[in-house]
Amino acid sequence: MILLMFLVIALLAFVGLIISRNHRQMNTICMVHSLVFALISVWLILSGKIPITSLAFGSPYFFIDHLGIYEVLICTVIFTCAAVYARGYVDGLLESGELEKGSLRVFYLALTSLLLVMVLTFFAENLAIFWICAELTTIISALLVAILSTRENISAAIKYIFIASTSMLFSFVGITLLFEISRSVTGTGTLSWTALLLQAHSFPTGMMTAAFVLVFIGFAAKSGIFPFHTWLPEAHAKSPSAVSAILSGVLLNVGIYGIIRIYAIVHQTPSLGTASSLLVLFGMLTIGIAAFSMIPEKNLKKLIAFSSVENMGILLIGLAVATPVAIFWVLFHIMAHSFTKASLFFSAGILHRQYRNPLSNEVDDDICNVFRYQPLAAWGIIIGGIAITGMPPFPIFWSKLFILLQVGTVSPLALFAMLFLIFIAAVAFGYFVLTTFTKSSEPDKATDIIRFPTPIGMKLPIILLLLLIFITGVAFTTGEVSFITAIQNELMFS
Amino acid sequence: MIDPIIVTDLIRVFLVFIIITAAYIISTRNLSSLVTVYAVQSLALVFIALLLFQIEGSTTLLAIAALTFTTKVLIIPHFIGTIQEKIRIKSDIQFHFLTPIKSLFLSVVLMLVVYITFVEIMDGASAPDDLFFFGAVIGISMMLMGMMIIFSRKRALTKVLGFLSMENGALLFGLFITELPFMIEFLVVIDLIILVLLTTILIVGLDSTIEDYHERLQRFHLWEDDLP
Repeated sequence: MILLMFLVIALLAFVGLIISRNHRQMNTICMVHSLVFALISVWLILSGKIPITSLAFGSPYFFIDHLGIYEVLICTVIFTCAAVYARGYVDGLLESGELEKGSLRVFYLALTSLLLVMVLTFFAENLAIFWICAELTTIISALLVAILSTRENISAAIKYIFIASTSMLFSFVGITLLFEISRSVTGTGTLSWTALLLQAHSFPTGMMTAAFVLVFIGFAAKSGIFPFHTWLPEAHAKSPSAVSAILSGVLLNVGIYGIIRIYAIVHQTPSLGTASSLLVLFGMLTIGIAAFSMIPEKNLKKLIAFSSVENMGILLIGLAVATPVAIFWVLFHIMAHSFTKASLFFSAGILHRQYRNPLSNEVDDDICNVFRYQPLAAWGIIIGGIAITGMPPFPIFWSKLFILLQVGTVSPLALFAMLFLIFIAAVAFGYFVLTTFTKSSEPDKATDIIRFPTPIGMKLPIILLLLLIFITGVAFTTGEVSFITAIQNELMFS
Repeated sequence: MIDPIIVTDLIRVFLVFIIITAAYIISTRNLSSLVTVYAVQSLALVFIALLLFQIEGSTTLLAIAALTFTTKVLIIPHFIGTIQEKIRIKSDIQFHFLTPIKSLFLSVVLMLVVYITFVEIMDGASAPDDLFFFGAVIGISMMLMGMMIIFSRKRALTKVLGFLSMENGALLFGLFITELPFMIEFLVVIDLIILVLLTTILIVGLDSTIEDYHERLQRFHLWEDDLP
């Protein structure tokens, strides 16, 4: 009945959104919807019922395992923060005329639908159902990218749809091939994650490698892996910041989640060598492209977006190493990256409202006297930047450190290359902050700037997320460790 | 009951016909012709599904044929045709990177590469002269040809047709390699329809001023202006 509960709550939210008449009502519904989803996720984790392999409603196509609920928890926390943030932020967009009143209901309906589809994606037990849900996340998020209706936004959304959906078609072919492999081995084909994991040891090498490569293409595009990453900086930079946080903190996880699942299957087969080489190659290229693209970047949101690309590369390499320690820290890194990146986009959104920069990645940010006008957002970017570059005591420090150590045990050369590229990305981020945040306005222009009265709702999610990443960085509870270990066991990585 | 040899030969003829339609989609510049050729290509897929039903007798194939006919021969071409009339674009004459001649040449190379790769990965599971092997190779080649259209054309509407042609390739591959549950095929088509709807609506926006875009969306009942 748990899945039915999620569906009924989402349905109530849809009805509420349709009958609501103003922004405040719509935002409240969206907030309550996300919060209730988050509370159910917490309750499911604390109840110790996970994994639920046979749901009263939705079985056999859906299940709830440790990895699924872990992703759903991250997703619902970020959605709740984004909904709280959206009230003040969207008010600002409405006031400035960047968002039309007529698009408001579409915006909240899309946000609510995206949350529901995300939950279904992470609870899908069947690879084909997962694929369909992942495709729906592309469609809905593209709508959110295009919501401001400027030509640039529409162009970014179309680019995103074409790159992601074209690549996802290759994934579909891979899934078809996987079904046939399973059918040829067992007599009856299956696309169940669990069944494929158990059958994988007897899959033929050539066909399994081909299926992995095809499935990887689609999910790599979803998570912004090189060379399919070109949609990501544009879409993240041009979206409203509440949407950027969701795109970076949650949507990229869909692709990585798919790669983790399919890699767990390949991990049981002789195709593992080819698959891990592929992940290392694309991981390294992804970090490299992102790091060098960050150096000349003058647009804050685009810089943060490239940092997401870099982190997806790190995840791929950690996954390729596939030791229990590496997998543990890959899973931890997913959470740490999501929370940190969401906080960065929220802070960037406040600066966007303050300096009224067009949501364009072609325009340099014109930020000055940032500590006078928006000290919280400035500190949000600085602390978030320190966290995302991997400095202690933040959680990404630990995950990067242990992933790097694990890479070192396999190849010192790869370790050196990774360290070098991560260093470049960190320097690029630091350079941007130093040059931008120390700028003062020209004396005659100083009086032209009016301070944007940042609503408390826009500040709260940043404070909450920064606190959350600080706590996860300094305190490892046994419950947290055993939960992530349970994910490893379910994926048969241990 | 038709003789199985005739059925197999007919399938081969339709497969060749599908490749010709894919080549036509790559090279033509007239948008109306593109939509018509896509509908004809989809109809050829319907016939292949029906002929495969003659060989295998699976009702899923009949259901796929019916679904393909309704959505890809009737609904989607009609919708794109309507949008194309509204945005008043008749032809797509600009190309990125590849001209039609180069694209056609590259298609032949891609088909050869796909064939050689399949011989390697099938590992003796299927003979290279097997009908199902042939169908799978054509399916993947069609996908790559569709992808070329997406990358080489400038107009977003032509890119949509390239994507649809790719999707036909994926369906063709699925028909010959294995038989996925019909529910999954059905959901994939629903997903495709939503994707095409959204993309074409966005294309209307790309081709309009913002005021004109909102006016057009209101005309399609996709936008409202009644909030306080």
